[in-house]
Amino acid sequence: MPPFEQLLEWSVKIAVGFIILMTMVAYLSLIERRLLAFIQMRYGPNRVGPFGLFQPIADGLKFIFKEDLIPLDADKFLYVMAPALSLVPALMTFTLIPVGGEVTLPLLDRPIALHITSINVGILAVLAMTGMGVHGIVLAGYASNNKYSLLGGLRSSAQLVSYELAMSLSIIGVLIQAGSLDLVTIVERQGGGWGLGWHVFWFQPLGFFVFLVSMIAETNRAPFDLPEAESELVAGFHTEYSSMKFAMFFIAEYANMVTAAAMATTLFLGGWQGPGVTRWPWLGPVYFLLKVAFFLFLYVWLRASSPRLRYDQLMDFGWKFLLPLALVNVVLSATLALWF
Amino acid sequence: MLLVGWEALFFWLLTLAALFAAVFTVSAHNPVHCALFLISTLIATAGLFLLLRAEFVAGAQILVYVGGILVLFLFVLMLVNTRSEVENPFNRQDKVGAFIAVLVGLALLGAVTYTQQRGGFFKTKPSADRLAIENARPDPNAPAGVISADTETLGVTLYTRAVLPFEIASVLLLMAIVGSVLLARDRRQEETYD
Repeated sequence: MPPFEQLLEWSVKIAVGFIILMTMVAYLSLIERRLLAFIQMRYGPNRVGPFGLFQPIADGLKFIFKEDLIPLDADKFLYVMAPALSLVPALMTFTLIPVGGEVTLPLLDRPIALHITSINVGILAVLAMTGMGVHGIVLAGYASNNKYSLLGGLRSSAQLVSYELAMSLSIIGVLIQAGSLDLVTIVERQGGGWGLGWHVFWFQPLGFFVFLVSMIAETNRAPFDLPEAESELVAGFHTEYSSMKFAMFFIAEYANMVTAAAMATTLFLGGWQGPGVTRWPWLGPVYFLLKVAFFLFLYVWLRASSPRLRYDQLMDFGWKFLLPLALVNVVLSATLALWF
Repeated sequence: MLLVGWEALFFWLLTLAALFAAVFTVSAHNPVHCALFLISTLIATAGLFLLLRAEFVAGAQILVYVGGILVLFLFVLMLVNTRSEVENPFNRQDKVGAFIAVLVGLALLGAVTYTQQRGGFFKTKPSADRLAIENARPDPNAPAGVISADTETLGVTLYTRAVLPFEIASVLLLMAIVGSVLLARDRRQEETYD
């Protein structure tokens, strides 16, 4: 393949992926509000357009026109950098997630793989980028020069480091079974057996549970949303942020949710695998989207129905329950790998 | 191995970035800024690992250092009061420190030059597979986006030839963990906590 063509393919894929991700983030916020409203027996935003479908656009416009404040004693450079630092890794992660197998497009003589890029250390790169996203939150807390922000930043740094350990360890079991760090290979190994080949059924239910819990904690969502606990910390690390800078944190949080859901799908639910996918490759993205939607629904459901943990309970749960469980899973997977 | 074209450009960019960020790491006034410059150094070094076709090491570097250790650094820096550091970042040891740093730097530079000319300090005869690794060059005609089999090589090496150093490092880390817990909490504190 000539370099120019390769570059063109990447650019188109990145543009399409970006647009889809942004649309998903915008409508995820709407769906979340509508679902919360449904669970709490009220209407939710339903005035802008049919069923409130244009609400995200209205919200976006409102963000742009809001006043952009920078506190007087803030560390200005870091204050401006922090939202970008949390948004960029959230978007970068998506380049590695395979949303489908190979498809053929009209006018093209070769099949197109439905992922932006695939590298042989895919999982490691995703984890590394997730880890980099922490700094945005920590620095936002520091740079705002505000006690609530600082407390939020401190909490999130401790929380994210603790749960990252459990999350990484829960993935080890998948790695042992798939024998690869490459996300495309991992998805392909889970094919066949009418979904019984998915890692969630095929010996990794424990790993799936640990990953699910720590993924919710890693994305700062209820019941683990301690860094922005509004009843005690006003709004946590983004207390001082307004206008588009706040919007960037918001987008980063939702993009992280989508990415975490996509990772859970890829690692444990067989990614784009499903009935009939080998015959009709375009079914792949549909299955993928359905599985991701399941996790996103779970996020909203949990937020609507569970109380926030106390901080020491959060730490106890992470270190004394999830981490040992993940270690047990590693040992179990390694033992099982000897036989199968 | 020799770097040409884009690789050379990226090499120099990343090296300069790493060096400048390292200098700022020690000379910046605000400790949080120091930590951030350290992050920049580490990321630039990870880029250098990528240029060497060592993706696993690069990923592990970012995951462990940037995503883990440096977050804890920032945690501690934000927790303690660093105002005196901001006002007066250098103490009276700065000249001695600079002198020792220059000495170590010169020694390292000398060591690199010496090894390049003489082919190693200990002049052991390199084994065949070692030579193969050293003389391995990335295929210049390889298409972009294709990645080497570095992870498998690393894994196999880590659990066959490098088992002992690996285990020693793990035991050392374990000792450090136990030691830090012991230092941070003496018996009296433990009793009051219980």
